[in-house]
Amino acid sequence: MADPGILHRLVRNVTGQVRLRRAEFFALRGLFVAALVAAVVLALRETLGAAAMAMAGGLLVLGAGAGALVGALKRVPAGEAARLADRGLGFQDRLATCLEWAERPDRTPLVEALVADTLARAERLESRRIIRRLLPREAKFIPVPLALGLILALAPPIPLPKGGLPNFSAKTDEDEEKAPERSGPLQQDERPRASKREAFPRADVQERSLVPRQGAGGQTQPGDLTAIFKDTSLASRSPDFNSFLKKGDERIRMLEQVDRLPDLQRDFTQSQYKVMFQRTKALRGGLRPDQLSPEKLRELLNEMERLGRKGGAENPWAGDVGEGMEALEQGQTDKAMEAMERALSKLRSLEEGGRDGKGLRGGRETDRRGAQRDRGQGQGGPGEEGDFPEGGEGLYPGKGKSPSRKGDPTQRLRANPFDVGVDGESRAGRKEGFDTNLLGRGANLPSRLQYLGVVGQYRKMMEEAIAREQVPRDFQTQVKQYFQSLDEK
Amino acid sequence: MDHAAPSGETQTQRAREFVAAFQTLRSEVQKVIVGHDDVIDHVLIGLFAGGHVLLEGVPGLGKTLLIRTLAASLDLSFSRIQFTPDLMPGDIIGTNMIVEDPAGRKHFQFQRGPIFGHILLADEVNRATPKTQSALLEGMQEGSVTVSGTAHMLPVPFFVLATQNPIEMEGTYPLPEAQLDRFVFKLRVKYPALEELNEIINRTTRVREVAVDRVMTGPQVASYRELIREVPIASHIRDLASLIVLASHPQWERAPEATRRFVRYGSSPRGAQALVLGAKVRALADGRYNVSVDDLRAMALPALRHRIILNFEGEAEGVDADRLIEQLLDAAESLSAAGKDAFLR
Repeated sequence: MADPGILHRLVRNVTGQVRLRRAEFFALRGLFVAALVAAVVLALRETLGAAAMAMAGGLLVLGAGAGALVGALKRVPAGEAARLADRGLGFQDRLATCLEWAERPDRTPLVEALVADTLARAERLESRRIIRRLLPREAKFIPVPLALGLILALAPPIPLPKGGLPNFSAKTDEDEEKAPERSGPLQQDERPRASKREAFPRADVQERSLVPRQGAGGQTQPGDLTAIFKDTSLASRSPDFNSFLKKGDERIRMLEQVDRLPDLQRDFTQSQYKVMFQRTKALRGGLRPDQLSPEKLRELLNEMERLGRKGGAENPWAGDVGEGMEALEQGQTDKAMEAMERALSKLRSLEEGGRDGKGLRGGRETDRRGAQRDRGQGQGGPGEEGDFPEGGEGLYPGKGKSPSRKGDPTQRLRANPFDVGVDGESRAGRKEGFDTNLLGRGANLPSRLQYLGVVGQYRKMMEEAIAREQVPRDFQTQVKQYFQSLDEK
Repeated sequence: MDHAAPSGETQTQRAREFVAAFQTLRSEVQKVIVGHDDVIDHVLIGLFAGGHVLLEGVPGLGKTLLIRTLAASLDLSFSRIQFTPDLMPGDIIGTNMIVEDPAGRKHFQFQRGPIFGHILLADEVNRATPKTQSALLEGMQEGSVTVSGTAHMLPVPFFVLATQNPIEMEGTYPLPEAQLDRFVFKLRVKYPALEELNEIINRTTRVREVAVDRVMTGPQVASYRELIREVPIASHIRDLASLIVLASHPQWERAPEATRRFVRYGSSPRGAQALVLGAKVRALADGRYNVSVDDLRAMALPALRHRIILNFEGEAEGVDADRLIEQLLDAAESLSAAGKDAFLR
């Protein structure tokens, strides 16, 4: 195989070029930094004296020299030099491939041809510089510190301020009186007397007058925005933010009434309904309702009755439990079962009603009072819960008691249980619970409580979405059943 | 029999022969085909790289003619299969038939299908059903077909050239990724320029058609295929090929933004093989004994364009695979030592 020595020489040549260019590059960079430092040194010439000039010159030489040294000493791997040579000489990666493969034991016969080809090309080469000069970004700014240094060198030394720290200690009147005695009358006369500073203006002087502009009679100035109220009753009224706060937003007032806000700390897993449901489930033991024995059913009803007694309050499910017991006595298991389901459902509704916002009712206080008054006078419809509270009357022109020719605006929007989020009314009546009745230790885990917190929100979102979107009835049922299934898990 | 390793001189001689043979073969094809120089080059590179080539283009651009001309230029057997929806795998591979010998005994005999040819033109390959398309798979990858448990070797060299039409997609079955991956290159045949079109008219409306000479034999092709593999490649160029392929993978941590955004699946290792083998053929055909970065750049599009599967966003945005690959090349070069300026490091 041909001797690739010439190729190594070529690479060394390129390495030398790289070192040279690097030395130039880093020398310029070092010169820039040194020139900056030299300018500072020259600025301090008054302090440093004649040595400042020598120091500045030395710094320039040192900076450039150190940079050049660093650049020249940086390592240039042979492979990189070969690649640079390939690129610079148009060798199409011949040199790098050749140098890599020439020494390899698994080289193919074609490598010999490659080496020979590359050697022939290298021999034909004329010596030229292939590494272009690269200037650092700082190079174009080098004249600035150099010129600054030159100016500072030619100009007289800059007098440096001889200041100490200001005296922050509190001076008494006595001190001020004593000071002239220490300095003497002569110095006192020579020293320019500073005029006595005025005290800061007091706050009451800065206070703005909030008297409104008299828009009706006064002349308006360009840019005066209050001019738009010039001929209105607002022109004479002063802006009063406090009154806004006092009489302002109902929502702020509502937030002040802490007892109306839902108790977010409450553990929904430990409810009467929950306990009852768990016991029901335990008693049923996975049996279908038709497989439930009368003994178990009796046990269940007794449990419910006991729970009602323990509660002490008036229990809406007490009647159903009684009916169930009677039916059971008469051997009518189906009726007893139905009565128990009803009782459970009422218990659940009670729980839901108590849980869902704890009776939180949005809207304006006056509206609610009015609604209660109307209900009390018997002028209201069947109730707020109905979609058509007035039985349809009053919704159409000429119907009902409305004096308006077109009739009253529909109550459906506010009355619709799905419009909970519209005007802040909480939906009354039975709702699907979001208690999911998990049994065991998992029921009280924090993650479980988080789940309970969000599942209610999702349920509401679902209800709103169903009310808002045109969802086929079958699919509505399907979605509702899905949420119901969450309860039963 | 001992095989003496070929000396450097012999290999150099063979390399020179290859350069000449490549040029001659190209000239023969160019007697008939006007323009499409890069397509012709890439088809020949595919032939010597030992792969199969898929040509994509609208009808009438000379895809089939190019392949027929190539087959005519080589002293090899040629089969053509027009793929249609009712084509069955047996129509390609062959089937066992009952034959009667002179003694009157009947037995099964395998009747070879058109796949048993050196050069196979699979015309409009996307018109056949996937079952039939897959009949080509084993032959393309293994060089053999198995019928009734018996493997039948295909002739060497075996070279599949398939064509497909990108616009008439009605009633077609796009090739699955696994089969696309078997093609070493996918070439796009573009519409000819004005001068080329004029030349096409001149050549094809004359009384006598151009005669094409057979300039290369099968063993020669097989021998050149072996020679190609001896072309050395520098490690930094091999690294660049790997980086290009890796840059096509959205899961790769250093993948460029375009890949992450538009690519679902990147190229398989076959893509890297195709890239390097194609670059080796190109280098040797160019009279060089080594692979350069330019060779990789030239082969990246045909080797990778059918191996990069765009995601929904890429398809919705109409991202062109070729432009994406060009971005990958730039990204890979900036990542590799070959692309970095070693000057200041």
